[in-house]
Amino acid sequence: CKKEFLTVQPQGELTESQLTTQDGVEGLLVGAYGLLNGNVNGTYGNYGAAPSQWLFGEVASDNAHKGSSVGDQPNMNAIEQHAPTSTNDNLANLWDRCFEGIQRCNNTLKILGNLQGGQGTVKFSDARAKEIQGEARLLRAHYYFFLVRVFKSVPYVTEATSGTFVPNDKDIYPNIVDDLTFAVANLSTTKPRNQKGRVDKYAAQAYLGKVYLYQKKYTEAYDLLNAVILAKPDLTTLPYSDNFDITKEGGPEAIMSVEHSVGTDGTGGDNGNVGDILNFPYGNTPINCCGFFQPTIDLANSFKVDANGLPLLDGSYRTNAYKSDFGLVGAAKDNYVLDKTLPLDPRIEATIGRRGVPYRDWGIMAGDTWIRDASNGGPFVAVKNTIESAQIASGTAPGTTNVTGLNVNLIRLADVYLMAAECAVENNNLPRALALVNAVRQRAAKITPQQVNGTPAAAYRVSQYTTFPTAAYARNAVRFERRLELAMEGHRFFDLVRWGIVKQTLESYFAFEGGFFDYLKGINIETRDDYFPLPQDQIDRSKGTLKQSPGY
Amino acid sequence: RVTSSDEKLPVIGATIKVKNATTGTTTDANGAFSITVNPTDVLVFSFVGYLSKEVPVGTQTNMSVVLQAEDNNLSEVVVTGYSSQRKKDLTGAVAVVSMDLLKSQPAASAVEALQGKATGVQIINDGAPGSTPQIRIRGTSTINNNEPLYVIDGVPFEGKLSWLNQNDIESMQVLKDASSASIYGSRANNGVVIITTKKGVAGAPRITFDSYYGTQSPRKSSFPEMMNPQQYAQYVFDGYTNAGKAIAAGRNYGSGPTPVLPEYLVAGSKLGQDVTAADADPSKYNYSRDPNLFYQITRANKQGTNWFDEITDAAPVQNYQLSATGGGENATYTFSGGYLNQKGTIKYTGFKRYNFRSNTTISAFNKHVRFGENAQYSYSEGYGFGVNPNTPGGYQDQGSALGWAYRIPTIIPVYDINGNFAGSRGSQLGNAENPLAFLYRAKDNLNKSNFFFGNAFAEADILPGLVFKTNFGLRYENFNGLSMRYPNLEFSEGNNSNNLNEYQGYNTEWTWTNTLNYSKVFNEKHRVNILAGTEAIKSRSRQLNAGRNDFFILGNQDYYYLSTGSSNISNNSFGSVGSLFSLFGKVDYSFNDRYLASITLRRDGSSNFGDANKYGFYPAASAAWRLSEEEFMKSVKWISDLKLRVGYGQTGNQRIPPYQYINRFQSSIINSAYAVGGANSLTTGVWQNAYQNADVKWESLKALNVGLDFTLLNGAFDGSVDWYSKKTSDMLYNLPLPSSTVGLGSSPFVNIGDMSNKGVEFNVAYHYGREAESPLKFDIGLNFSKNVNKIVRLAPGIFNQVYGNYRSLQTSVLQEGAPFGSFFGYKTAGIYQSAADIQNNPSYTGARVGGLRYQDINGDGVIDPKDRTIIGDPNPDFTLGLNLNVSYKNFDVSAFIYGVQGNDIFQATRYFTDFPSFDGAKSTRLLDAWSPSNTSSLTPSAYAGASDLEFASSSYYIQNGSFVRLKNLQIGYSIPTAKTFGSKVAINRFRVYVSATNLFTITKYTGMDPEVSQITDTFSAPGVDQGVYPTPRQFLIGINVGF
Repeated sequence: CKKEFLTVQPQGELTESQLTTQDGVEGLLVGAYGLLNGNVNGTYGNYGAAPSQWLFGEVASDNAHKGSSVGDQPNMNAIEQHAPTSTNDNLANLWDRCFEGIQRCNNTLKILGNLQGGQGTVKFSDARAKEIQGEARLLRAHYYFFLVRVFKSVPYVTEATSGTFVPNDKDIYPNIVDDLTFAVANLSTTKPRNQKGRVDKYAAQAYLGKVYLYQKKYTEAYDLLNAVILAKPDLTTLPYSDNFDITKEGGPEAIMSVEHSVGTDGTGGDNGNVGDILNFPYGNTPINCCGFFQPTIDLANSFKVDANGLPLLDGSYRTNAYKSDFGLVGAAKDNYVLDKTLPLDPRIEATIGRRGVPYRDWGIMAGDTWIRDASNGGPFVAVKNTIESAQIASGTAPGTTNVTGLNVNLIRLADVYLMAAECAVENNNLPRALALVNAVRQRAAKITPQQVNGTPAAAYRVSQYTTFPTAAYARNAVRFERRLELAMEGHRFFDLVRWGIVKQTLESYFAFEGGFFDYLKGINIETRDDYFPLPQDQIDRSKGTLKQSPGY
Repeated sequence: RVTSSDEKLPVIGATIKVKNATTGTTTDANGAFSITVNPTDVLVFSFVGYLSKEVPVGTQTNMSVVLQAEDNNLSEVVVTGYSSQRKKDLTGAVAVVSMDLLKSQPAASAVEALQGKATGVQIINDGAPGSTPQIRIRGTSTINNNEPLYVIDGVPFEGKLSWLNQNDIESMQVLKDASSASIYGSRANNGVVIITTKKGVAGAPRITFDSYYGTQSPRKSSFPEMMNPQQYAQYVFDGYTNAGKAIAAGRNYGSGPTPVLPEYLVAGSKLGQDVTAADADPSKYNYSRDPNLFYQITRANKQGTNWFDEITDAAPVQNYQLSATGGGENATYTFSGGYLNQKGTIKYTGFKRYNFRSNTTISAFNKHVRFGENAQYSYSEGYGFGVNPNTPGGYQDQGSALGWAYRIPTIIPVYDINGNFAGSRGSQLGNAENPLAFLYRAKDNLNKSNFFFGNAFAEADILPGLVFKTNFGLRYENFNGLSMRYPNLEFSEGNNSNNLNEYQGYNTEWTWTNTLNYSKVFNEKHRVNILAGTEAIKSRSRQLNAGRNDFFILGNQDYYYLSTGSSNISNNSFGSVGSLFSLFGKVDYSFNDRYLASITLRRDGSSNFGDANKYGFYPAASAAWRLSEEEFMKSVKWISDLKLRVGYGQTGNQRIPPYQYINRFQSSIINSAYAVGGANSLTTGVWQNAYQNADVKWESLKALNVGLDFTLLNGAFDGSVDWYSKKTSDMLYNLPLPSSTVGLGSSPFVNIGDMSNKGVEFNVAYHYGREAESPLKFDIGLNFSKNVNKIVRLAPGIFNQVYGNYRSLQTSVLQEGAPFGSFFGYKTAGIYQSAADIQNNPSYTGARVGGLRYQDINGDGVIDPKDRTIIGDPNPDFTLGLNLNVSYKNFDVSAFIYGVQGNDIFQATRYFTDFPSFDGAKSTRLLDAWSPSNTSSLTPSAYAGASDLEFASSSYYIQNGSFVRLKNLQIGYSIPTAKTFGSKVAINRFRVYVSATNLFTITKYTGMDPEVSQITDTFSAPGVDQGVYPTPRQFLIGINVGF
């Protein structure tokens, strides 16, 4: 019998030689973008890798509870309580998805190299080849950054790596900086191929500035961040709500965002915002799944302002805590009335759904009937990741309304302002820090107040700081502003880590929040808790080359 | 006239030859014959299945000859690899299953009936109509697919067998050891089941009609019992009290110290106790598809709904089979048609099959050339949930109808006030879907299959003793189906989407086999058989799926076409190709019927492997010694036959996904697309979905078998004993590589890992009344199989791999030194009795009084994942089968008892029913939970906010799965036809019977059915009960009529 009889071609698959073309490389690059939403395919199950980083960035911090009922996704309870084991599926989820993204970047770079090296027929122009490298290396830096923030010790694999087992014994921040530096140098200020979903020079600058900030390289960071600020429109002219509005997404404030796509593409929502699929209210609501990601009582109270419209930087916001209808029973619960006299920063309504206040266009937030188990998750629901009821038909996956097309901002302009403000404080340029923080607050003051029965739902107030008297004061003010402006957007826990204040912040928070929720009582934070354990299955697969983080 | 010794009927088509001459004739339809002969001639009478008889003619002009039926099992001819052998010449371990035994147990699948009939063959049944049971021959021989290779009329077949009608089978042989199976080379690792269908019998047409009708009833007493609503409410309250928390049990049970059951669960947006009379005004009711208008009113069912009761019902089963056989000297035929209709005991499920078979054999050129065909067409249709899945147990899931039945609170009624389905929408009613609604909405989901399987063959005697045979087999299956989805707004996590999915596809495979067989006896002592052959196989499959959402009207089958859906237009297709080419040869030699030897060689080439390792080579040898033929044994009169067998051989396995030897990429809208153009404008990119192992090669298995066959006291006792040791090496293992190397692409299979199976098998049967003309005849058979499986080695540096995902549980493990599919988790060490108990013993974050305590396996003082260990073994210590057949005059009785001993079952449904994991149904076991006054209980107490470590995989889930079951009892009566109908009526056989299956089961298992088929995760996870389709009890009446 002939050998050809036993030689068959893969069905519906491609081989490397078929991809060593311009179209092949461009396809691989699109594939590399494709992991930005944190999944390869499917909808449920992509929580750890969510681009919003709601679990590691927010639930692990003082901003959010896992929510829902205690038995649902129990591994997330362990993240919230900082008692994760290495078998926690959310850790593996982030690790696997990011490395898939990295593999795609590496394959793009490798096959691009083969094509330009003469293995294919028609090469790219040098300009497009450089630009592709810039895009792929920025994306690779992003995936590594997501990993290094959570796991710290991460193996570094590039298109040039040979061998199956790579150790995690080196600091990979310099590698991330290399990739981003290349991207800054080789991407232009117009988006590649004029496609708005791609990354440009501003994204590279802002990302590199952010990474420098994590490395405490404030001067280098400031220059890059400030360059972005100068090139973009004045923040105060950009409406705050545009960042969380599916009809206005991708505007000038979106420096780098994840383009989520849903609709008539024939998928069940695989390219939509699957990472936040659980994070909608529960019960009789337009999107009724699954009651996760509930803001904490601590976060709600941090939106309180003083008589001057400034935040209560001294922590006194916890005094006489506002807790909506939490803990009330019987008639007291039924007859609960919203206190409209509470002095609050208006950004609370864009961040936290609370009883008695209109929630987007969904009607008045009704309290417990919108919540899976209030005794477990508290009285509040998340807002930023949801969409308008009127947009559900066009903005969600067919048949799965909890997969939306809402983009997730990885870096937005206000974030750049506040990162630059941090650099300014550390570089002892307090007036610049003051100006940047005030720009953010000035914009917040333009938010249209929420009204109930014709009157505002709170005594909304947000005003500008007159001065930053000391560096310490400025530092505290910038950090507090960062919490208020970016709450529930996946930054908080990582900010606490780089500020070195995880232990003091979270233990104080657990003491406060534990007064309402038993499961948070008395949690102690150890040094190890700045990072999470490496997934056990990866250590098992590595034949001993991967070492577990200290303390786990 | 020639008659038979057994039925006293004329023998039609018997050959009568003059000894040492060429003249001869055959008997007619009355058994009569005439022949012109000399008085000195000797006539030789012969017929298949009867002993030849020589009669000197002498002066007789009218001869009456009675042919003795060949009752001696040893002269039975059995089909083995590409040829047939006398049973007494077998040198390997071959189980021959009597079809008479199989027929007594009506079953949709022929495989199902094999249970307990052959040693070393473990069958796990599944109650879903038309489903394929799980079959394991001598244990689990690979971590990959363990289903055996079937060879049907000489054509290899892999897959489910639900298309084959048991009544069409003439015989089944199971090739168990490598020396007998290695002729099938690379596909024989899991054993080979050879099925021969019924062939034509020469003579006037003989027509038989078989039918049974009966009812299947769910074994209701086996259903797990759940708490009633009052008990459950108390359990919820206790949870808060025990945790020292304010009671926050939602709106259903009031705010007092003791729970009060609500009148209503939901009325519009009002829940539980909040529902007022005005809210529950039926005029407000609106069962709308629009969630904004949807207004459901549901009363609480204070007595509690028995969901298992609600989803099961008695179900009819009926079967009809008509067959005809006949032919003359040069052509025989058999034809049959059958119909089976089996409804499931789970509501709205069922299976139907129509099948036609035709087998023809024609001989020409003085019988030196023979050709013919065997062909079957069958049409089958499964509808509803869990029916006819391609993999056994494939429907099991927490989100299946059975999974929901374990999860849905009993306070929810089946229907709301207007008779529409009620559900978990309400206050803290969990997130289970109404299982009856789920079943009802799946009632029109159809899976249809048009299946053709057959072969045409020709063989010619080239020289005396040398036969050339060519055989072309074809399998063609065309399948299609559709499934629908309806709005389920009554469900707490439901929505109003509705959808239709359709699929169409085909599988095709052709097999072309050519063999040369030379067979000769030299000097009456040397019996030689030499076989050489080639075989080519090519397969191809392709499937198309499509779906749409949003149909203008719902539930109308005449309206459901894809083009009438208005959104979410989706479609996809996929396929595969594969080929195999083989050369093989076999030499059998026997000397003086005393010393037997056999050597087999096979070389297989497979498209599944790359150029480096395309071919595999499979040798085997076996020998046997018939001690009973030795002079020194002849004097031992009570031993009729005694044979010692030894066999050693090698087989292979190539059943892995193809193309493992190259890197593969995929362009896919779901896997690698991104909206680079912004908004919803997707661009589809490319990703590497599979990584290569250029060196991948065949998995191989080497096995040694030693056996002893015996026949005692002139055939009154017979049986055999076998001992075997098999070792699988270079086991194809989908070794997961680090994500840093392969991302989420699939890691290639690598040849790593060894597994061993060792076992003993024993069967013995006693036959009474065979020889004599006794009115009482009976056979009693006992068989015993024991297999010990062990994973000898995984990959270097890999000690174990945990798998088997169920919610946050991981149930099973592959671990060096442990049996395949061992259960993995924490070992419980009772309940924490006090705060001091927690202080003084190893504990974990969230450990609490009344909660589960675990053993500190590694002794480091804390309980963490490193303390997980092997907690159970799904493999039985042994299985037992007891068969009994009795006939007395016209009555016959058969009974079959099957037992499995020493296996564990992981009752995964306890995750929901025994722990505060979700709001939902809870087992009545919790009524005896630990409390300060019930400290000896091993069941954790209610506790709101219990640590998730309490419901992690632990020995709490492990149950003893041993059972003994009366599988079948049948009583028949053969009406004496001549007496009853008169000799004018053409009926020559009329038997009626009643039969019952699963009459009783003795087990300690607390789930629905101890027969738990595997679920498939990364590897198959045997013995994990996620809610199996329980096997029902059947009562049948049937008839067999012959004309």
